[in-house]
Amino acid sequence: MSDWKSYEPTLIPNIEGMHQLDTYRKHGGYEALHSVLHDSKKWPDPSSVVQEVKDANIRGRGGAGFNAGLKWSFMPPADGGPRYLACNGDESEPGTFKDRKIFEYNPFLFIEGATIAAYAMSITTIYVYIRGEYRSWIKKMEKAVSDAYDAGLLGKNIMGSTFSVDLVLHSGAGAYICGEETSLLESLEGKRGYPRVKPPFPAQRGLWGRPTTINNIETLSNVPGVIRNGATWFKSIGAETHPGPILYGISGHVNRPGVYELPSGMPVMTLIEEVAQGVKDGKKLKAIIPGGSSTPILPAKDLENLTMDADALRGAGSMMGTAGMVVMDEDTDIVETLWRISKFYHHESCGQCTPCREGTGWLEKILEKVVKGEGTSRDLDLLLDITSQMEGRTICALADAAAWPVRYTISRFREEFEARCKPSLVPVG
Amino acid sequence: MAEIVIDGKSYSFEGKPKLLDFILSKDKEVPFFCYHPSMSAPANCRMCMVKVGQYVKNRDTGEYELDEHGERQIRWFPKLQTSCNMDMMDDMIVHTHETDNLVKRAHKDTLEMILINHPLDCPICDQAGECPLQIQTYKYGPEGSRFEVKKQHKPKHVQLGPRVTLDAERCINCTRCTRFTDEISQSHQLTITRRGDKNHPTTAPGTVFDDPYSMNTIDLCPVGALTSTDFRFKARVWEMNQTPGLDITNGKGVNVDLWTRDNLVLRITPRHNPHVNDYWMTDKGRDAIQLYNENRLSTPSLRLHPKDKDLVMTSWDNTLQTIQEIVESTDSKQILSLGSPYASVEENAAWAHFSQTILKQKPSYTAHVEKGAGDGFLLVDDQAPNTAGCDLLGLKKRTKAALKKAVSESQVIFSLHDDYIERGWITKEDLKGKTWIYFGTNLTQIANAATLTVPITCAAEHTASYINVDQRIQRTYPAKETKYTNRRLDLEMSEGRLDRFGTKFDHWVNEDNKIDCKPLWEIVSDLFSLWGQTITYRHGRDVLESLNQTITALDGITYQAMDDHRGVLLSTSEPQEAST
Amino acid sequence: MAKKGSKNTATNPPTSYSFTKEQLKEIEALKAKYPEVQAVTLPVLWIAQDSFGHVNPDVQALVAKTLDLPESHVHGVAEFYTQYFKEPKGKHVLDVCTCLSCGLSGGVDIVRHLEKKLGINVGETTADGQFTLQEAECLGACGYAPMMQITNDVYVNHLTPEKVDKVLDQLISGSTPDFESIAMPLVDSTHTTKRGGSNE
Repeated sequence: MSDWKSYEPTLIPNIEGMHQLDTYRKHGGYEALHSVLHDSKKWPDPSSVVQEVKDANIRGRGGAGFNAGLKWSFMPPADGGPRYLACNGDESEPGTFKDRKIFEYNPFLFIEGATIAAYAMSITTIYVYIRGEYRSWIKKMEKAVSDAYDAGLLGKNIMGSTFSVDLVLHSGAGAYICGEETSLLESLEGKRGYPRVKPPFPAQRGLWGRPTTINNIETLSNVPGVIRNGATWFKSIGAETHPGPILYGISGHVNRPGVYELPSGMPVMTLIEEVAQGVKDGKKLKAIIPGGSSTPILPAKDLENLTMDADALRGAGSMMGTAGMVVMDEDTDIVETLWRISKFYHHESCGQCTPCREGTGWLEKILEKVVKGEGTSRDLDLLLDITSQMEGRTICALADAAAWPVRYTISRFREEFEARCKPSLVPVG
Repeated sequence: MAEIVIDGKSYSFEGKPKLLDFILSKDKEVPFFCYHPSMSAPANCRMCMVKVGQYVKNRDTGEYELDEHGERQIRWFPKLQTSCNMDMMDDMIVHTHETDNLVKRAHKDTLEMILINHPLDCPICDQAGECPLQIQTYKYGPEGSRFEVKKQHKPKHVQLGPRVTLDAERCINCTRCTRFTDEISQSHQLTITRRGDKNHPTTAPGTVFDDPYSMNTIDLCPVGALTSTDFRFKARVWEMNQTPGLDITNGKGVNVDLWTRDNLVLRITPRHNPHVNDYWMTDKGRDAIQLYNENRLSTPSLRLHPKDKDLVMTSWDNTLQTIQEIVESTDSKQILSLGSPYASVEENAAWAHFSQTILKQKPSYTAHVEKGAGDGFLLVDDQAPNTAGCDLLGLKKRTKAALKKAVSESQVIFSLHDDYIERGWITKEDLKGKTWIYFGTNLTQIANAATLTVPITCAAEHTASYINVDQRIQRTYPAKETKYTNRRLDLEMSEGRLDRFGTKFDHWVNEDNKIDCKPLWEIVSDLFSLWGQTITYRHGRDVLESLNQTITALDGITYQAMDDHRGVLLSTSEPQEAST
Repeated sequence: MAKKGSKNTATNPPTSYSFTKEQLKEIEALKAKYPEVQAVTLPVLWIAQDSFGHVNPDVQALVAKTLDLPESHVHGVAEFYTQYFKEPKGKHVLDVCTCLSCGLSGGVDIVRHLEKKLGINVGETTADGQFTLQEAECLGACGYAPMMQITNDVYVNHLTPEKVDKVLDQLISGSTPDFESIAMPLVDSTHTTKRGGSNE
């Protein structure tokens, strides 16, 4: 795969001033929404929009990788009551810093995408939940939203059509869990961010008990392109089963960290060696975490020929997640890094479910012991056992997200952990 | 009719019951903590895990798909499911811990997790002995602990309100208490604070958990995190007897359990009755322990001369003879006979019988209703437990003014229970020059001013029935002994559970605290015999049986029927005083 | 079953905090954006914190009173979210990220440097009330590590001890660092892009 060098970014194109409405419109912005609202030949009804998005197979960019159009199709038929779209801009998974780029550089692309989604699902209000720490970006979004209202692109009778929808920005206040879609709904309703038990699913009973769809910011930002250029165009970009542009966030020990828009299915080594211009200080690569801290770590030896798409990564024993790749050089203290990840999940567990509330703390405390050189080999086995007591036993996936790094880091770097452990006090043999 | 297979046994069901509810209703067990049948199911304790699957059917033919052995194919859910929030569906297959090792393992795992930050201080914990966590750990928990790092410390002995004390370290975050104040009492006084393993319930800073139903959270708490401030460290659960009873502080007729040791009622907890109080009771109702234990009238007492400051104790024989002398020396028109909505149906009936036969007076009574005291939940305006019973017996209801008038026009007054002075209906002055014979349980202001006080048994000492504001007749059991009863001989009294030697655990350390009092019907029987009549009411049942004959609404009403149906709703032909 | 709600009994003296008329107007406008008043709990706590510098129990009570919500609800919410200061903090709150990418890139060293420089430990406030130092979880700036956020607002990226010192001086002198627009690097060259730059 070498044509990535000639790839023309569509989410964040290299155009100055795209964050301004007139520039955005000058470059084709709002053509998609206009066509959806006015070209009744092409888009006879909202469901035709859903079908196109479904065909495009935009797999959710928030981590779960579920077909966005398929998710839209779960909404029950409109009954005249309120229906909501909740846009997930909470991005808090360590290693992830991509959606803020959209807020900063191309806010109207997202707003247009969300508006099309609202039309497709007969949504009455769009809530955009942005993590509270992104105050600078929330301010940018406030400007964009106000401009869109002023231009008749939000609110009543959008673009002269009969379609109306409101968009409300909502700031979080510091809680990773609110990126979990049902927890986000609770937070939007003004409560503690406790994930909800499913079923009922948000499409049946979401915000204030009404049908609701939750989509990631980047996911929705792909919608205008799909509408304008068609599902076939979208599917022609990148990996076949996980198509489209991806905002790769590359961080850690590389020479040029940052967010890069490239087709899905990029070879991991190309991203590290060419895009991010190699491991810092000429050091050797030790491992990567491919898609945010919860995705299982992959040692350097497993990265050759590996591409960044859901299926390839699953095959390699990890996940695509948010495509926020963390690169670690040969001097990285894997034990300490894992402890730090565990500390994060311990800090962020909402405390609702027993296995997560108690397990995340237990994991962190044992790992701290191991970091200090006070652990034993038995502790490592205990850590693995605890992960199996957490996985799949809770309301939301935070317990899994906390357990996977521990399970896979220990199993893939066991010798480094063993080297940190005290010799067993029980004589062997 | 849909079908479900649980642990290999087939059950049919209708509607959409929740799986845990259904399993429990079949007398099977699935352990749980956060679930409560009267509140929402947050599924947060993750204890009630089961394995769930469904038979696979061919979409076109509707036939069951079979595997190579000709057995029906089952599509299992990929993860274990919490049964508390699981809707039952047709063709569901469920494996509980009885038949599935993974489920068993899940129970053990969850308990291990719950216990790692739990202080394990059962030896000093009030909840020990009735603690779901303790019981489930014993039955399903791990053998030992693998937790060798530092526990999470949280606030201890926090006074949340006047009645409830919190030990946050024992808390397992089931949120039953916060759901109670949100969903049931709706005071919204509790919340969970912090996050993760620092979570615990609390009030908003500077506010007090003074919800009139606050103590229900103690009953709900599946561990010893919320305990009763008054009851803390008073007794171990297994030392006490648990006897069914009724809340006598209000007309609602809330069903309760009386917990006794050494003839003291140490605590009162609600007893489930879906027709009356569900699982709940008021905090006020729990204060009845003071009525049962403290300031009791014990041994009859007599004021020798009207000017004497104190009453002196006297014998039962002398008491009865004194009554006889007074009655025989007084014109019956000068006698006022008062029943009481605080006394049971049986007491009022026996009293009315005596009153009409010997005193030649139909007893009247006064209702104790405080307008606006009710809250639409378990508190009603009627402050007395048996106003409807008085009405049913045909006792004439007197207003405040009528009472005062009647008292002023009478020479001798027989009264039951009510403290008219404390209520401000009459004053001590009104008693001047009168002979007041008071039958009661406590040393009330009336008792202090009376000529003769006759101690009678309280609701914790006798079997008697009470009719609540909704016309439901319910009954009490004796929970504590009087000077004249013995719990080992009286088969009606409950005893503590068996210890491992098969003997009763409740070795009460002394036989004190027995009150020298008698059931009113017994006293009435004795009085009848003084007048040469043989009317024998040995037991509340004797009174009730006679009422079966005389009062249509009570025809066929027995204690057994009340026990079988959690009280019986009476069909009264005459419209009763509207309940509040 | 339901009964009349009973209000919490406050034992504290009345608070000295109050919203201005403009703020109350702003709150009313917020309420109109949601079908239920409870939804504005987070936004109104933000208004309060921006105004009073913290949301201590008295401020929480004010928010509850203003929105006619139970105090316990507002308290539970304030306690759940880490950005709300449940007690007064220093004038400038420095949230230094030490999470995954920042941790790999020297975030902890920045914390140590700040501890030395300010003479306080993480979680403490300087005696003059100028600075509170906090360790933060991932703030979503992984590519620009190490970094910190200043008083829940602007991010300062690519921290070095020298840059940290400069920022401290700047804060002491009364100005705040500008928003750093970090250009998206172009993939096909070593140059960064001309795009971006929304610095307003």
